[in-house]
Amino acid sequence: MTSSSLFLLLVLIVAVSYFFGRKRSEVVAQSVGGIRHLHSLPNYYGLMAAVWAGVPGLVILSLWVAFETTVMQGIVFSGLPDHLKTLTGPQVNLFWSEVYNLRSGAISAPSDPALLDAMAHITTLEQQSKIGKAVMVIALSVLGGGIGWSLIRPTQKARNQFEVVLRTLLMLSSMIAIFTTVGILFSVLFESVRFFREVPITEFMFGTKWSPQVAINAEVAGSSGAFGAVPLFVGTLMIASIALIIAVPIGLMTAVYLVEYASRRVRNIIKPLLEVLAGIPTVVYGFFAALTMAPQLKTFFEDVGVNGVSSESALAAGLVMGIMIIPFVSSLADDVINAVPNSLRDGSYGLGATRSETIKQVVFPAALPGIVGGVLLAASRAIGETMIVVMAAGLAANLTANPLEAVTTVTVQIATLLVGDQEFDSAKTLSAFALGLMLFFTTLLLNIVALAVVKRFREQYD
Amino acid sequence: MNTSVKDTMESTFAGWTETVGNAMLEGEARMSTRNTDVFYGDKQAIFGVDLDIGKNEVLAMIGPSGCGKSTFLRTLNRMNDTIDICKIKGEILLDGENIYDKNMDVVSLRARVGMVFQKPNPFPKSIYDNVAYGPRIHGLVSRRAELDEVVETALRKASIWDEVKDRLDQPATGLSGGQQQRLCIARTIAVSPEVILMDEPCSALDPIATARIEELIAELSENYTIAIVTHSMQQAARVSTRTAYFHLGRLIEVGSTDKIFTAPDHKLTEDYITGRFG
Amino acid sequence: MTDQNLNAIERMAMVKQERMAAKLGKRYAKEKRFQAYGIVSIVIGLSFLAMLLGTIFTAGFSTFYATEIRLTVTYDQELLGVADMNDESQLAFANWGALVKNALAERFPDVSGRSARRQLNSLVSSVAEYDLKDRLEAHPELLGTTEEIWLMADDEIDALMKKQIDRDAPESERRLNDFQISLVDSLIESGELKTAFNTTFFTNGDSREPEQAGIRGAMIGSFFTLLVTLVLSFPIGVSAAIYLEEFAPKNRFTEIIEVNINNLAAVPSIVFGLLGLAVFINVFHLPRSAPVVGGLVLTLMTLPTIIISSRSAIKAVPPSIREAALGLGASRVQMVLHHVLPLAMPGMLTGTIIGMAQALGETAPLLMIGMVAFIADVPGTPLDPSTVLPVQIFLWSDLPERAFVAKTSGAIMVLLGFLAIMNLFAVFLRRKFEQRW
Repeated sequence: MTSSSLFLLLVLIVAVSYFFGRKRSEVVAQSVGGIRHLHSLPNYYGLMAAVWAGVPGLVILSLWVAFETTVMQGIVFSGLPDHLKTLTGPQVNLFWSEVYNLRSGAISAPSDPALLDAMAHITTLEQQSKIGKAVMVIALSVLGGGIGWSLIRPTQKARNQFEVVLRTLLMLSSMIAIFTTVGILFSVLFESVRFFREVPITEFMFGTKWSPQVAINAEVAGSSGAFGAVPLFVGTLMIASIALIIAVPIGLMTAVYLVEYASRRVRNIIKPLLEVLAGIPTVVYGFFAALTMAPQLKTFFEDVGVNGVSSESALAAGLVMGIMIIPFVSSLADDVINAVPNSLRDGSYGLGATRSETIKQVVFPAALPGIVGGVLLAASRAIGETMIVVMAAGLAANLTANPLEAVTTVTVQIATLLVGDQEFDSAKTLSAFALGLMLFFTTLLLNIVALAVVKRFREQYD
Repeated sequence: MNTSVKDTMESTFAGWTETVGNAMLEGEARMSTRNTDVFYGDKQAIFGVDLDIGKNEVLAMIGPSGCGKSTFLRTLNRMNDTIDICKIKGEILLDGENIYDKNMDVVSLRARVGMVFQKPNPFPKSIYDNVAYGPRIHGLVSRRAELDEVVETALRKASIWDEVKDRLDQPATGLSGGQQQRLCIARTIAVSPEVILMDEPCSALDPIATARIEELIAELSENYTIAIVTHSMQQAARVSTRTAYFHLGRLIEVGSTDKIFTAPDHKLTEDYITGRFG
Repeated sequence: MTDQNLNAIERMAMVKQERMAAKLGKRYAKEKRFQAYGIVSIVIGLSFLAMLLGTIFTAGFSTFYATEIRLTVTYDQELLGVADMNDESQLAFANWGALVKNALAERFPDVSGRSARRQLNSLVSSVAEYDLKDRLEAHPELLGTTEEIWLMADDEIDALMKKQIDRDAPESERRLNDFQISLVDSLIESGELKTAFNTTFFTNGDSREPEQAGIRGAMIGSFFTLLVTLVLSFPIGVSAAIYLEEFAPKNRFTEIIEVNINNLAAVPSIVFGLLGLAVFINVFHLPRSAPVVGGLVLTLMTLPTIIISSRSAIKAVPPSIREAALGLGASRVQMVLHHVLPLAMPGMLTGTIIGMAQALGETAPLLMIGMVAFIADVPGTPLDPSTVLPVQIFLWSDLPERAFVAKTSGAIMVLLGFLAIMNLFAVFLRRKFEQRW
């Protein structure tokens, strides 16, 4: 029985439990003088019986599905002859893909006779697991349903109990945010630690040469790869800075115009149009950057006599990224400028200031913390943006300050290192996680600071 | 204006025909309004007000909330320009010039007719920069020393100098509410206006701070023309020389403060003064 | 008050008028300039939008029609080498190409010589023969008969018809020579060449041949991915929002949850890809490239959006309604389920649709979990390897063939179309159910 049909069966048992629970509550109600004398409505007794039937079975089923492969492979592996037990990392992956291919018939001759044993072993285990899973889940849910059913009596506080269950479910849902953060932390930390065992953290943080590609051929002498991430950090900062230089003034002035000058009609037309700009997927911006912006920039600079402009220049990627961030900056700035109380504007107008004087000398200083927070959030976005740079910036890790040359970024490297086949113990693959760790912490820091600054700004004027 | 709505409003003014008392002055007025109407969209807020504000007098405007006294005050230095739907009809004269004339520059107008608001609204700048703001934007001073003097004079006149002279470079938002309001008055004085409009300047303050502001108003009346909107009849009685009573957008009665508070001619004024509504 | 100080303002008052007047012109000029900056900023933003959409629409429009050639094809049993129509292997190895070549030779009997024949054969798409195979499989009775059929033209011919190849350029600089163009012209004259709506684009999966490549696989992949995302993120997001707004005690733990949610909303999407790779694939051994994993990753990514907008929808329900329900003896849970939730639902749905639109456009995290492979088959279930629309766009944008530029732009137009529909629906919901309390 497959897991999905087992799940359907579980749903059926839950439905049956609900039905019988409800029925029973009506029956027990007879003895005390009718439904009015039950503690809760019959519905809640049914629901409690359903909870008893569903929860244990569902928990076991999901745990089983999540871990069965790992456990079974572990068992088979521990029974292997000694020369295979010593396999590590990618060799283990290779071993298993050969075993599975052998079974599906894609390979006819095994490279090692022990593979046939392993194949037989895992097939047996899989069958046992299938049966065990079905028996466990069905037994647990029927048993649970039975317990729930037998608990039903007029004094049972079924509604209160069900509400406790419901609240617990709601709380678990909200805790997914924590699980996600912890999951991210663990997934990047774990692999990063393995990476830093092979490459010293100082080399990664301060080294100026990045060439992970050569690391594939371990046999070639002296080709352990270079993992100095400084060129990536510089490239990321350069592209993000170009983006911010474009996006911050334009976004800010857009917001200022819309809040302080535009009539309601103009605002109602322009705001949705800018939201369109915000809703366009980044892959589309990337396509535009690579296909239209980069060649046009190249032609432009050649026309004005600057040669040697890369077709994957940092400028093209930064420019398009900047445009992408404009609506982000302008909507944040819009909120912040709107939050500046009108009494301050009145005070300035009352002294005879013009609108622009009021904006520059009163509104901006008052909104400054909020604007700074918005810029930090925009910076975090620019640093973490992937598709535009993957498509429009280069792969070559040049350490340069010239925005007309090709540079690469942290996100580009993560994406290229992890697309395609991965070997989970080569420094090349692991370095992507180390970069991910850097990226996560940098953006986390920016976000926390930004959110705190914006929050304090809001409290000031609430 | 929808006539039926106007009719129902008229009917609440059974006894009202026109403003009672001396709305127009004999001598020369600093500001005067003639047949002034104010509209918010389709809704009329002020109905044909004729009123003079004399030189160096303190005119108090009183009336129940929503009577239009604040709206009327804001038309006197065109603060309502910032509201799109607000339309003004009739004439408002400052020294004989119509301030709604298209030749009148609103920036210069507001430098001549200053305003103090209900809630103290110091800018998020230092105390010094708050007071220096007006002279700076208008380019009224050419040297730093001159500006220093202007700031000091304004702060002295607003009788807050002694409290802030040692911390001029500190943020104005750190001052107490009463100090903030006096700072806002200093800020207004610093551009040397002819008229100061005050929109319930004490409503956010405690009694002690209020008393200080009231003293200050009395001092300022030596040099400036002051129009003050207030919720408190006692305050009007204390600070003003003349009082105007507004009701539902109409100017009901104007007269010397003594007369209005002791022997009002109009029934509505009397009812308000004696606390039958308001 | 000293005389000297009194004089400062009075002295200033004497020169006030002239000094103000002197500066006024400059101040108004500054004002105008400042306002112009604002207008220029908006114009830059909007003109970029116009440029982006303009470029993509002009490049992508041609994808939606394709050039076809009418040929008289004889399903010759001998030529094909098919004896038994039910034998799969015979059909698979049959010489379908020969049918096309024969039909072309009959249409242009004058063409002779190896190179000329090869150029003739290149008029029709190299994959058109599979259309013949499909046709014959669907109608076995056609074997041995002759019929007229529209076949897809080669992408170079298509490019010529869409004026992407300049007829007037010197022959050596053209990708089609004079001879090929003369063949095309004779077909045009006799009405045997037409452009028609390109259904292939919507019915085929990915292909190495531009004229055969379609987005059906990617669309179905996106559909499955979004389905998984929706099924998971909507209930979880709404539950979390209800908990945080209605039940959570105000303590440190709740605060941590809130900070987490706000931060996750700003974590780069590629980091979620790393999570998916490390947890869902490496730890839980879920299938690579499968929409179900994509859906899981996008769920985690869109949850903050949904939670935040659901919370504000719940906040917008006035306390008076809560108090009324509690006053009638409802429990907190009943109050929430019977009163708050129905009133907040439109706002929650709007937030969910916007979250789904984000998920539909997301690319980077899906690259991490292997949804970037070349997959020609249309996925049948969320567990089959597949790709999604934005990843398909990414894949095509990397290909050298000119025709793929149009394909990419076409796929972008389809993606933007879906996004527009989703967002318009969200706007519609908001307008329709917006309540002022």
